[in-house]
Amino acid sequence: MGTYARRYRVLAGLLFIIGGSPVAAQVAEVAVERRLAEELGLAVGDTLRLGPAVEPLTTLGVVSAIYEPMPDPAEIAKRERHIRMHLPDLAELLGAPDRVDRYGVGLRPGASADTAARVLNRTAFGYRAYTSRAIASESSQTFLVVSRFHRAIAVITIVASAVFLLCIMLLKVEERRLDAAVMRFVGVRRRTIFGALLLEAALIAALGSVAGSGLAYLAGAATNAYYRRFFDTGLTFSLITPEIIAFSVGLSLGLGIVAGSVAAWRLVHTRPLVLWGRG
Amino acid sequence: MSGLGWAVRSLIRQRLRTALAVIGIAISAAMLLDMVMLSGGIEKSFAELLLAKGYQIRLTPKGTLPFDTEATLDRASSIVARLRRDTAIASAGAVLGTSLYGRSRDSLVTLVGYGIQPEAQGVYQVQRGQDLARHDTLGVLLSASAAGLLRAEVGGTVSLVGRLDPQVATAGVSRQLVVRGIVRWVYDYRGQPSVGTILPVMQALAAVGPDDRASLVLVKARSDAAAPALAERLREEFPRLEVYSVADLVRFFKQRLVYFRQLSYILATMSLVVTVLLITTLLTITVNERLGEIATLRAIGIGRSTVVRQVFIEGAVLTVLGAVLGIALGLGTARYLDSILTSFPGLPAAFSFFVPRRETLTAAALVLLVTGSLAGLYPAWLAARAPIAATLRSEAT
Repeated sequence: MGTYARRYRVLAGLLFIIGGSPVAAQVAEVAVERRLAEELGLAVGDTLRLGPAVEPLTTLGVVSAIYEPMPDPAEIAKRERHIRMHLPDLAELLGAPDRVDRYGVGLRPGASADTAARVLNRTAFGYRAYTSRAIASESSQTFLVVSRFHRAIAVITIVASAVFLLCIMLLKVEERRLDAAVMRFVGVRRRTIFGALLLEAALIAALGSVAGSGLAYLAGAATNAYYRRFFDTGLTFSLITPEIIAFSVGLSLGLGIVAGSVAAWRLVHTRPLVLWGRG
Repeated sequence: MSGLGWAVRSLIRQRLRTALAVIGIAISAAMLLDMVMLSGGIEKSFAELLLAKGYQIRLTPKGTLPFDTEATLDRASSIVARLRRDTAIASAGAVLGTSLYGRSRDSLVTLVGYGIQPEAQGVYQVQRGQDLARHDTLGVLLSASAAGLLRAEVGGTVSLVGRLDPQVATAGVSRQLVVRGIVRWVYDYRGQPSVGTILPVMQALAAVGPDDRASLVLVKARSDAAAPALAERLREEFPRLEVYSVADLVRFFKQRLVYFRQLSYILATMSLVVTVLLITTLLTITVNERLGEIATLRAIGIGRSTVVRQVFIEGAVLTVLGAVLGIALGLGTARYLDSILTSFPGLPAAFSFFVPRRETLTAAALVLLVTGSLAGLYPAWLAARAPIAATLRSEAT
């Protein structure tokens, strides 16, 4: 079993560059987040003056690495900038020796995380043990809310699209009144006309679905490109899966066929003279 | 017959398609209204929340937003004293936020603690009992949730515990305090168990050190109009601190919730596009079906402008019907969507994303009406340029 301890939340606002002067042996090593390095024009080997408050900035640090943080959806909107230091250096800087915010505990292979957390919590005083799964579940609450919001918006959009599709299909079939009347006059059976209109509705729905899927891919790509640039992150914001495509195509085909059937049924049960406008 | 009557008769003639179009427009209008509310509601609701107790300015440690980190500022009392001497300032008070524990039977419950200066506080409203007196070192205020967890009521006693030391399994600081009142903490999320004491007591419980630390200082200017200039002046007077006016904080908050604002713009635009498509399609097909009727009217001397007006009125009637239904529907869906978004962890319970206001409703209705009317342009143009003789000949055959 191994452990590690971390202190975190060092404020970017407390960092100041003092140029690339020679580095003394006792100077603390600092790893700087790539975006912060870009904003402050920092490079490996530069020296920083650090402090727990704006004044005094008495501790010297040297940029030993510039790192790219893991994309984290919880962080993107905060625009916070981070640095990393060795724990003893940070503890000394903050004037809080031997204090940490949290420990990470690695279990031996086969050991149950839930059991270990229970055992630790039974004897805990001043701390609480969580499994990684519990922390992931707790920290994903924000995204669950966003996901619920997206689902609610999706339902409204689907209802609006369904009504739109019904309306368009009805109009499309009604547009064929004269054709239907002529076909009825020359003896074409109702069932044949119904089938033809239904096929037309299905074809339109299928074409619309294909065009809609293409549009969704383009919109998704544009969304990802825009927000990746906007937030300077590698996160994926819009993900169009085969399941989503299958659901959308199935729904629009189904709705198109239902709407086409209703409209075609009305049309073939109207007298030909009425369809011709003389009834 | 008036243009309106004519339009209504024309729409009634095609009941099913009119009904579907109105439902479609209503759903789009509801979405538009919700998105207009969302785009402006976030900042308005946040600004109202910040001004709930009239404090227009916040001073925090350099580089931090209020309560965004655990950073604290030192010599809080001297900062407050200096601010209170300023004639442009009506009131100023420091607040310390920390985490601590309360004893409930044999166990400890985690609490959020506020150290406040009762004579100048902007973070709570007393609901039951009484407020803390200025030097009340024995009193405590509880949120309803904290009172429930600690099984305490006004007049009862609670035991609060500061830093716990795991190595010696003991509490660093412990205080027995009398519950003076049950309060609503303005910035708490739903169910947050919060307790409040006067600042020195909370500083002792939090063990933040001897240098009189606080998380922020609240400042109330003598008038709202003077607040921005005062904030600017305080920025120069306190270069080691961040000075935020309400407008500054709203700007930061907007940056954090930029996704929702942009989403609202996109969805509102899509709603308008759907409305335009629906109305244009419906009116175009209706005009095509009625070309014979239109040609006959033109032949007996009815002017182009009358025909165009007629098509416009038909579009406007559809839009108005859809908008009226849509506003009712939108208010309902806004409540539902708000209940989802306000369940964000850590969001103040008093915050709202969708705030129905007269100006929001008016803006959404106006945008819809103008867009709906514009959607009639193409079909109106079709109706106006219908060739009279050819159309009548084709109708006759």
